[in-house]
Amino acid sequence: MFEHDNDAVQRMVERLRAPVEMNPALDERVMARIVSAEGSSRWRLGNLWAWLRRPRPVPVSPLGLLVTAAALAGVAVWWHGTSPSGGMSQPEGASGPAPVQFVVVARGASSVALVGDFNDWDTGRTPMRLTSQGGIWSVVIPLTPGRHRYAYLVNGSRWLADPAAPRAPDDFGTPSSVVTVGG
Amino acid sequence: MSDEGIARRVRSGDTAAFAELVARYRDRLGRYALHMLGNREDAEEALQDSFVRAYRSLARWNDTAPFGPWLFAILVNRCRTTGRRTARRDRIFVRDDVTLSTAPAPEAPDHAEWDDTIRRALDRLAPASREAFLLKHVEELEYDDMARLTGVGVSALKMRVKRACDELRSFLTEVEHV
Amino acid sequence: MRAATLPLCIGLLVPVTLAAQDPRLERRLDAGTRAAVVAVIDSARAAGLPIEPLVDRALEGAAKHADSARIVAAVSLLATELATARAALGPSSSPPELDAGASALRAGVRPSDLTQLRQRRPQSLTVALAALTDLVVSGVPADSAAAAVLALASSARDDQIVDFRRAVERDIALGAPPAAAATVRVNAAVRAAGRSGKP
Repeated sequence: MFEHDNDAVQRMVERLRAPVEMNPALDERVMARIVSAEGSSRWRLGNLWAWLRRPRPVPVSPLGLLVTAAALAGVAVWWHGTSPSGGMSQPEGASGPAPVQFVVVARGASSVALVGDFNDWDTGRTPMRLTSQGGIWSVVIPLTPGRHRYAYLVNGSRWLADPAAPRAPDDFGTPSSVVTVGG
Repeated sequence: MSDEGIARRVRSGDTAAFAELVARYRDRLGRYALHMLGNREDAEEALQDSFVRAYRSLARWNDTAPFGPWLFAILVNRCRTTGRRTARRDRIFVRDDVTLSTAPAPEAPDHAEWDDTIRRALDRLAPASREAFLLKHVEELEYDDMARLTGVGVSALKMRVKRACDELRSFLTEVEHV
Repeated sequence: MRAATLPLCIGLLVPVTLAAQDPRLERRLDAGTRAAVVAVIDSARAAGLPIEPLVDRALEGAAKHADSARIVAAVSLLATELATARAALGPSSSPPELDAGASALRAGVRPSDLTQLRQRRPQSLTVALAALTDLVVSGVPADSAAAAVLALASSARDDQIVDFRRAVERDIALGAPPAAAATVRVNAAVRAAGRSGKP
């Protein structure tokens, strides 16, 4: 394509082809936007349980997120899947539990648990799974229609509300959030 | 797991898995965005927007086709809507050691100056020419793929690439002889 | 006298036994806290209120290592709110509706707005009440939030009300004054609900 080896444009192209490094914190900003907006309510539920039952490796790859001391960034999504009738409300009790995914970014954490009304506020019942070394934890649980209070427990001692979910009134001096699952 | 496997998993409801795709494509797509838009801030914004759009429109991805090119097309379109802000200039090239080892010129120019020259050269191109030039010579796409991605015919793309090369050569020659 | 009081004592014994036997409370609360909490729960049950939210609130306090007084106060407050919600929403309200109604009251929504919502919306109110609460928590004044949800009550599906709430929250996050955000979005939401037909 170029006239000769020392062609200036060729040298320019070779320079332009050099790999670049974007800020790894961009990953977190992308996930924050994804989870704090509409969530992924447009995906159908049908395949989710089948997928959950299949054994699969956990893809862990170095995201290279910069670790900032002390600060824990909480960003979470709950995914409300549509009911089989496509979102029409049904009498309570007529529809069963819906799988809801909780995702939180907690950089530097060694453990994160999802704790709420749905598991009797038992701090050991629903540990979350680290899905990447960038500190993104997630878990999917079935929730019955209704309003559920919850919070994340980081490293067994620090309570974290979900920044992307409505806050629950604070009765105990620690933050909590609310998720509503339609019937 | 393959990119397509992860994308299918995200589509089934595993939102968290999308982070893996972001990590895999961040730098690859970032290179195009940086050179097309000329500064890191705009590039990061375009990159973020593209990933978010990809997530939200994942239902439209044909899962028999590779995920990467589909994602790249979203970025290319997104970059078209961002005007290149020539006032904002950053150091785009971080890995000087890599380019030092590949520079063929007998006398390697000062890299900061060379990088600045490259940026000015790209700035001079019309956006359509710059896009075609980057897709062909930096991203090394085939013309058929470029046509599918841009919606522009192959012969028009070839003309844009040739025009871009001529303009760049002219400018770079002029600069080097100053 | 003794004959008159005996049946009363027997009548009181049964609910106390049931609540006190909840293994979750037994495991997680100390004896003193448990006794006080159980008393509140039993009164609530006798009044026909759902008790699971009260148990949940006590367990939350236990998980967060709150002191006894705080746990009892939280449970008592919720019981009061549930009772007020039932008075406003009607005795045939479902437990999730009462729980959502209690949250709305806590956020500052008036009982009369809850009553109006019941009158305008034939189907379950859980999602609508939750959206109303979330709007107020986001900063929309309670009366503006109530007016908006009431405007949607007779025509919008649950998912449309949720979409409306999310749209308002997004606008607020982008800097719109909360009351204005609700007002602007509700007109579009009412139109959309009207176009898609009755739920």
